[in-house]
Amino acid sequence: MPPIECPVGCPVGQKGTVEFLLQGVIQAFRLLFSGDPETFSAVAATVKASSFSMAASLILGVPLGFALGHLRFPGRRQLRLAVDTMLALPTVFIGLMVYAFISRQGPFGEMGLLFTLPGIAIGQTLLALPIVIALSATAVEGMDAGLRTTLISLGAGRHRLLVSSLWEVRHGILAAALTAYGRVMTEVGISMMVGGNIKWHTRTITTAIALETGKGMFATGIALGLVLLLIAFAVTLPASFLRRK
Amino acid sequence: MALYTLKHIVHRYDGAPVLTIGRWEMQAETITGVLGPNGSGKSTLLSLLGFIMPPTRGEICFNGRPARPFDDAVRGKVALLPQDSFLLKRSVYQNIAYGLKALDRNGTSQERLIEAMLMVGLDWNAYARRPWYALSGGEARRVALAARLALRPEVLILDEPTTSVDAASVQLIKDAALHARRQWGTALVIASHDTDWLEDICTDTLHLYEGRPMGSGRRTLLFGPWEKQGPDAVMALTASQYFRAAKPPQDLLAAVVAIEAKHLALQRPSSAVAEGQQRLTGLLLRISFEQSTGLRCAAVLVGNITLTVYLSDEAEPSLHQPGQSVQVLYDPSKVAWY
Repeated sequence: MPPIECPVGCPVGQKGTVEFLLQGVIQAFRLLFSGDPETFSAVAATVKASSFSMAASLILGVPLGFALGHLRFPGRRQLRLAVDTMLALPTVFIGLMVYAFISRQGPFGEMGLLFTLPGIAIGQTLLALPIVIALSATAVEGMDAGLRTTLISLGAGRHRLLVSSLWEVRHGILAAALTAYGRVMTEVGISMMVGGNIKWHTRTITTAIALETGKGMFATGIALGLVLLLIAFAVTLPASFLRRK
Repeated sequence: MALYTLKHIVHRYDGAPVLTIGRWEMQAETITGVLGPNGSGKSTLLSLLGFIMPPTRGEICFNGRPARPFDDAVRGKVALLPQDSFLLKRSVYQNIAYGLKALDRNGTSQERLIEAMLMVGLDWNAYARRPWYALSGGEARRVALAARLALRPEVLILDEPTTSVDAASVQLIKDAALHARRQWGTALVIASHDTDWLEDICTDTLHLYEGRPMGSGRRTLLFGPWEKQGPDAVMALTASQYFRAAKPPQDLLAAVVAIEAKHLALQRPSSAVAEGQQRLTGLLLRISFEQSTGLRCAAVLVGNITLTVYLSDEAEPSLHQPGQSVQVLYDPSKVAWY
């Protein structure tokens, strides 16, 4: 394999790679604990957009997933196929579609969502929604048939039947939420196209990594990547406790 | 007023009918046994009676009013313990208290839960905090039953309650069900292959075969194959003995004959046979006492078929010794075709 052309400042060789990875780790802690405003701005943008999109996709996706997995209606298989296909949606395609809808010429152009965090969140919701729906439906489909019989025979009404069934498949729903969260947190295409990577405004951690890598600032890129991992850890840690219950 | 009235019930799975009942009634505070081979529609009937699902066609009235799943008239009043007793992924206490919470009866005292657990032989202190996965099969079945008993239902429906559990659990489950009837007047509907138990405790029985009711009461079902012989139809029981039934239907392929225990009589092998009567010679297997009717009942083996015969008070005492050869008399016109 021919050697890869490195930008200015890029360390080469095995020793150099270890060195700049180490630098990245040190810099990650420096960025976090020194309260670097630019890093914290990207962290805040990431957390805001992903929190909104996850909340929206869970509120919409879990009941839809339950309905898709539980109810029998004409066209269910075709709908399931469509949702499963949407799992492979490329983020740049979603970014492009959202851009088309919220740009000035688009039908929602007047809402001023382009290059804003709500705009990014809408795109990320579209990304997470099929994941939440498909994986929730799978969890519900795998539900023991005896559960419904048990709940009804113990006097559960329709609402309690839904809530208790979801609680019984909570591990599957949690897995759906974490998978969707991982996809939302790590996407670049939507944030770049819809958000525009505007410093102090719509720059997320992933778009910042892309920018820093483009500038040849590998250590900063690695540092931001580690920050992203720390956030993911902070989210999955409480989830692991929930899984144990 | 009947507790249940089923009218023109047809239930289908994927378009295929699995249960068809024209009309059937069940009274309050009774014990009804549902008998039939596997695939006869017993579990489907119990699910319909438990209001787990509505029938594909027809109407089920509960306490005189048409009722459907989730109706207030049936929620918490009808409790079904399915064949595979499923426990929620929670503690024993949470499983037993679930129904009361679902019915917003949170104010109900803890004594009621303790009582339900005691009825199935579970000690509160030892079991209440135990998670669902730390129970044996028999314990899980008893927890599932306790969850139903805590509701003090009007009807308790048990689908094969004693299958796959140890002898001690079987006795506790049987006792708990009968205790519920004595204590709260709970009507019981029980499907079980433990026919001796059912016939001992049941005030009524319903026989099902291929999704069709085959009458009620103590009876023997003969599934054929039937052959036309003159105006009657016969079924071979042994190489030399046939069961004769009058007025057969045109289509004998899926025909079933039922003969009630009261239409069979027992006598010594050498005794004379009255005109119009048919006789079969068989082996007297056992004699049992039916608590619900106060009658003695004999089981006579002829070929592979066990005929159930009520013994009259005048029957010879020598006929009460199992192991001997006896004659069973019957009138071919007193059979029912299905």
